[in-house]
Amino acid sequence: MSDKDRIRSLLKEAELYKKQSLLTQSKDKYLNVLQIIESSRQLGNREKLMDAVREKMRAVEEKLTEIDEAPEVPELSESQHNLIRKRFSFSKDKDKAAIEGAVALAKFGQYEQALEQFKKLLKQGVLPVVVAKNIITCLLSFSTAEAAVAQFGQWVSRESLSRPQLKQIRAFLNSTFEKKGIKAEIPKLDEAPAEGGKEDEEEDAVLDLSSISIQLESGPLKGETVEFDVTFQSGNSVSVIIPARRKDLLASVKTGMALSDIQCFSPIGFFRANGVLFGKTEIKDGPKQGDYLLEIAINADSP
Amino acid sequence: MANFNFKERVIECKIVYYGPGRCGKTTNLEYVFKAFKKTTSGDMVSIDTKGDRTLFFDFLPMGLGKIRGCDVMIQLYTVPGQQKYSSTRKMVLKGVDGVVFVADSLEVRRKANLLSLKDLQGNLKEQGHSIFKLPLIIQYNKRDLAEEGFPILPEDVLERDLNSKLKAPSFAASAVKGTGVWPTLKECMKLTLLELQKELKWAG
Repeated sequence: MSDKDRIRSLLKEAELYKKQSLLTQSKDKYLNVLQIIESSRQLGNREKLMDAVREKMRAVEEKLTEIDEAPEVPELSESQHNLIRKRFSFSKDKDKAAIEGAVALAKFGQYEQALEQFKKLLKQGVLPVVVAKNIITCLLSFSTAEAAVAQFGQWVSRESLSRPQLKQIRAFLNSTFEKKGIKAEIPKLDEAPAEGGKEDEEEDAVLDLSSISIQLESGPLKGETVEFDVTFQSGNSVSVIIPARRKDLLASVKTGMALSDIQCFSPIGFFRANGVLFGKTEIKDGPKQGDYLLEIAINADSP
Repeated sequence: MANFNFKERVIECKIVYYGPGRCGKTTNLEYVFKAFKKTTSGDMVSIDTKGDRTLFFDFLPMGLGKIRGCDVMIQLYTVPGQQKYSSTRKMVLKGVDGVVFVADSLEVRRKANLLSLKDLQGNLKEQGHSIFKLPLIIQYNKRDLAEEGFPILPEDVLERDLNSKLKAPSFAASAVKGTGVWPTLKECMKLTLLELQKELKWAG
């Protein structure tokens, strides 16, 4: 292939990639063209040709810069916000669904709207620790560490949250700062005795789990990790179903067995825990007749 | 997992179009939306980002008749392909019943396809799904570019790259022309509904 043909073909490619918004690839092709022109002494009008290619490449570079500098998230209309909240809240519980909807907004980069929703929920007293942590996350994502600290300071001074709740939120803020390498002074809490602490501390434990993964430690599937959808949850206890045909799995689980590595997936986050299998019952009727229901107590305090 | 609304006797299934940025996921859905407008309900929601046409999600339910007295609605979504929208992709995948992985046939996108498939596998795993078990279809898009002399990967290379272990049904397509779009979706709906029937023990 002659240099002219190669140039023609590369330019055609560069134009296609530009059209498809594959801008880096387009720029690469223009660079290839420039290299060929530079090294090919037989080509006439080399300077003119190179100027024309550079011009095209500059247009691509400008587009790339424009994209780099553009905000990562677009501005969405209220109806789009509502649609996101509606489509991405799965819980039957109204409050938890509201949290999921707000989390979805945040995940779509709509932090200000998410923050608004979280603040409403906090006022209503819905899972205050979870909601407050999400407020902190939003502020850290679209604002500054100072804003997150100021928000925490406001909660402390207004006593809008209980001391044990504030303690949990402070620990969260602290660990988030550590992870992000942020050095900031977080308002300290007075050394007052905790009131109603137990109930508050258990708030995290009632998060809805959508699924869990368990590493089996005995039986024919020893060492394997199996995943289950959570069919029912009450506090720290979850129920999952094993189909009757999974004899190998059924033989690998026994009532009373300790589970040292449970991966828990909730709409709000993922965490690892340990626990105990405290029930294994055959389902006697209904569409799942013959399958087995496992009941697992999850130790939410485990590391 | 499919959503059952027993009161209204509707089963809602969710199919997600996944793939690298600019591979043609949105073009697929736009074609379906236009071509099957009569069987769709609701609007297709497309959200454009500056300098690109990034789609957060599309919502395109299609009436599919009934399964044992229940209407089946398929909701179609795409994910934003760019790396930076990882969190959004995870969110869109939540509750997924079937996936169409749209691969870009352009040679220059070979690595992007592999990274996106790996990303899909990781995100599914995080949600307790196995890429090997979930109904999955692979589509090799932009096949029409070969006619114009552009360098695209042969189908067998794409198969080897992306589908040698998965063994998923695969289709060649040109979403801009509409070729292969419907067969891809039809197969994905078929597999998704079969899986649903298995789940409900309604098969046979």
